[in-house]
Amino acid sequence: MYGLYKKSIFGGVFMKKFLSIVAICLMVLGVSFSGVFAQVSIPREDTVYCIGAIWGPPTTWNLYAPQSTWGTDHFLYMPLFFYSNAKDAWLPGIGESYKVVNKTTLQVKIRDIAKWSDGKPITAEDVEFTFNTTKRFGFGPGAGWYDYIASVKAVSEKVVEFKIRTDKINYYSFMGYSLGTRVLPKHIYEDLEKKGQNIRDWANDDPAKQVVSGPYKLFFQDPNNVIYERLDNWWGKDIFGLPKPKYIAHIIYKDNASANLAFEKGDSDWAGTFIPEVYALWEKKGLPIRTWFKSKPYYMPDGIVFLYISYQNPVLKDPNIRKAIAYAVPYADMLEKAYFNYSSQAHPSMVIDIFDVYKQWIDYTWARTVWKSEDGRVKTDLTTANKILDSAGYKRGKDGIRVTKDGKRLGPYTISVPYGWTDWMMMCEMIAKNLRDIGIDIKTEFPDFSVWADRMTKGTFDFIISWSAGPGYDHPWNVYRFVLDQRLSKPFGEETWAGDWVRYNNPEIPAILDKIASSLKTTEKKSLYSKLQRIVYRDLPAIPLFYGAHWYAFNESKWVGWPKEENAWWYPSAPWSANNFPILFGIAKKGETPKVPAWLTTKDKGGYLIPTSQIWNDFMRAK
Amino acid sequence: MKDHALKPFLKYIGRKFFFLLITYFIAITIVFILPRAIPGNPLSTLLRQIFQQGQANPELIRSVHKTLMEEFGLGKPWYQQYTDFILRAFRGDLGTSISSYPKKTLDLIVPVIPWTLMLLIPSIITAWIIGNTLGAVAGFKRGSFTDKFTLNFSLIVSQVPYYWLGMLLIFTLSVKLHIFPGQGGYSQGTIPTFTLKFILDMLYHYILPFLSIVISALGGWAIGTRVLVIYELDADYVSFGELLGLREKTVFRYIFRNSILPQVTGLALSLGGALGGALITEIIFNYPGTGYLLFRALSTLDYPLIQGIFIILIGSIYLANFLVDFVYALIDPRIRLGQSEGS
Repeated sequence: MYGLYKKSIFGGVFMKKFLSIVAICLMVLGVSFSGVFAQVSIPREDTVYCIGAIWGPPTTWNLYAPQSTWGTDHFLYMPLFFYSNAKDAWLPGIGESYKVVNKTTLQVKIRDIAKWSDGKPITAEDVEFTFNTTKRFGFGPGAGWYDYIASVKAVSEKVVEFKIRTDKINYYSFMGYSLGTRVLPKHIYEDLEKKGQNIRDWANDDPAKQVVSGPYKLFFQDPNNVIYERLDNWWGKDIFGLPKPKYIAHIIYKDNASANLAFEKGDSDWAGTFIPEVYALWEKKGLPIRTWFKSKPYYMPDGIVFLYISYQNPVLKDPNIRKAIAYAVPYADMLEKAYFNYSSQAHPSMVIDIFDVYKQWIDYTWARTVWKSEDGRVKTDLTTANKILDSAGYKRGKDGIRVTKDGKRLGPYTISVPYGWTDWMMMCEMIAKNLRDIGIDIKTEFPDFSVWADRMTKGTFDFIISWSAGPGYDHPWNVYRFVLDQRLSKPFGEETWAGDWVRYNNPEIPAILDKIASSLKTTEKKSLYSKLQRIVYRDLPAIPLFYGAHWYAFNESKWVGWPKEENAWWYPSAPWSANNFPILFGIAKKGETPKVPAWLTTKDKGGYLIPTSQIWNDFMRAK
Repeated sequence: MKDHALKPFLKYIGRKFFFLLITYFIAITIVFILPRAIPGNPLSTLLRQIFQQGQANPELIRSVHKTLMEEFGLGKPWYQQYTDFILRAFRGDLGTSISSYPKKTLDLIVPVIPWTLMLLIPSIITAWIIGNTLGAVAGFKRGSFTDKFTLNFSLIVSQVPYYWLGMLLIFTLSVKLHIFPGQGGYSQGTIPTFTLKFILDMLYHYILPFLSIVISALGGWAIGTRVLVIYELDADYVSFGELLGLREKTVFRYIFRNSILPQVTGLALSLGGALGGALITEIIFNYPGTGYLLFRALSTLDYPLIQGIFIILIGSIYLANFLVDFVYALIDPRIRLGQSEGS
């Protein structure tokens, strides 16, 4: 022992031994993490690389697990029909056609040649099984369908029948659930259950064993990559053709900046990220990159972003204060300085009026009367805001901050968004500045996302900027419901993610919402929506700020023909969007001529698309 | 002699082991408390992802929320969560990750460990060897140009934040000059295989993170060894050796051996902590190691994953500490004898 001390530690036998042990360890480690895969890399020219849809290690490819990895919904499992926001139309997927049997019954015929990737036919039994299993577990594809659909039954091998719940008729949800739900293979899940596997914990991560209905399946995954490979003998190739990329890969970057850098360099083709000054990429740097629009606002609109003011604080309940705040928000400035003009100011009616199909639901006459502007939008006007507060009796104190009639100061309040959401953080600062100008004491606060979300869902905040619902076959009903329906809410301090974060409590609302959902007549819906708009303008439960951008950009250095304003053949087009299925059929490798699939036109023009209005009409005509 | 030496030695080791267990228990208790002291919601990131996929419908959100609350026992009182956690931890079950549900915490940690060890062990050892050699030479030739240069260089380098150095390397060598890849453990589209092509690709991606750790760590070692060597220069055996007319090289070797001992401890501790990954280096380079995983776990408040990583990390640091004590008792008779005298 003593000898060891005497011997040199450095340069002697000990060190040599030590180093050789380290070397052996390293080699063992090297072997241990290398897999047994035959192929080393996938060809760049056959691969569409995506960013912005996965930010953490991949999890499952099982739709009955509480979360599944991006791609599962998109490329692996198909619904009966896909929905397109921009066209407000449905594209038959596994389904071939529908039949409205009567006002409460819808039948869908499944394509005769639709098959699972193991060769077994996709049947009505699979649909029935999928819905019923979701009901049994409480979640999965179409979670919550049982609130709107009374039964799902296979009436023959290829025909499935949906019956609406007549005790609370909701055509939006009935249609959305029955047509849009992903269908899963009954035989696979039944086998698993027989083997005693807990379906909720099943990862379905073995590429060799995946049984899918879509044109892709998993090829490789690790904490930094997810790669899907096309099935060249996919059942749908005679109907849709084959999607062009052989592989779809998603590299999981740590943050927006590094993902965007890869996109800019052309390492990635399809981006679903927020890119600051995106226009500089083609205007200044001359890169083959584009977003939907070549000029302002560059992006299509998605969900409406609101300024939510909680009803927890009794002073802030006063509609006069809320109205003054609506006038004080610097909409145009915010969008220009904090949002790169990626969007436009939201209409106070809570309807997305950028899409023509939704314009019919806005009562423009009333909006103009209330807000005194051309298109009924709220114009930033601090004088008006001050006047409203003055006449409501809020006098300014010595420090310039207003007080209520019984002497309570307006503030100090906080306005908050998660730390790191730089665009929204800047907007908070700008709103706070204007609110201080009209005599409301407010400061900004930027906690971590999970902290912020905790307050948001418990209603224990003063002011926050946050998301809501977006375009869809059920728009604007979905937004009104999300923002106003007290049935989605819970008391202050109890967590709810479902909606009504401000805890707005107006018994008129649920009745109107239910009436709209059960109505098939456009005129009736219009007058009900007008009624909602009157309430919204009166109470201002939440203030619509702007439309969140639909983050979608493409780099044409490897793949061309992406949908854009001039060639708007499909939308939603972001990689993360669940209904982007057709995109991969319409793009082409650079050098080849892209062709928009012929089936992306309506039925009368030889395509497959069915407008939502046609389905409504069929229901209206039915007995 | 053997028997005489062994008894106090075992006593010493046994005592160390006992304290180790107690501190380990305290440490994992703290690991349980700390993330829960942050006033956030661990489910929020997961639930937000559902909104982001554009599938947000109130029914879906509600059902997922309900299921997850039950699954993770988040509604339960804290003492129940704590006993569940301790009992499971002792059975080796570190629980299920929240943000990567339904993956097991261990299944997330184990695959990234080789990456971290591969990055850190060679870079720590390289920095240690280069740093100590530089420091020793500088100390031995005190006042010379080599000394001044080494000292100044080391002082600057050791004070440069390593993450800043990492970013600087990425910016110059990757973004501007395109010499090295700036992120990831291997090229995109490459699938890990045990082939020469893949290994070369991996090594190519390895260079920048490796350099950033080596450069920033060697300064500290050099400064430490230099001081130790200078102390040693005054020792009697040095003067005696010089008077005997020993060659300079031989004297240097004696000094080096004697002054390096504290640095061995430092090395062992560095290696013990290696499992935690060079947190920020891994984040900057998007390197798939434990540090990066911990960063993700912390930013999503993934309680089980944070706990799991720390349990393994603390365990490895303790183990390294224990081994150092063990080695010390082995190589330094004073520690052994001190134990037996004390008792």
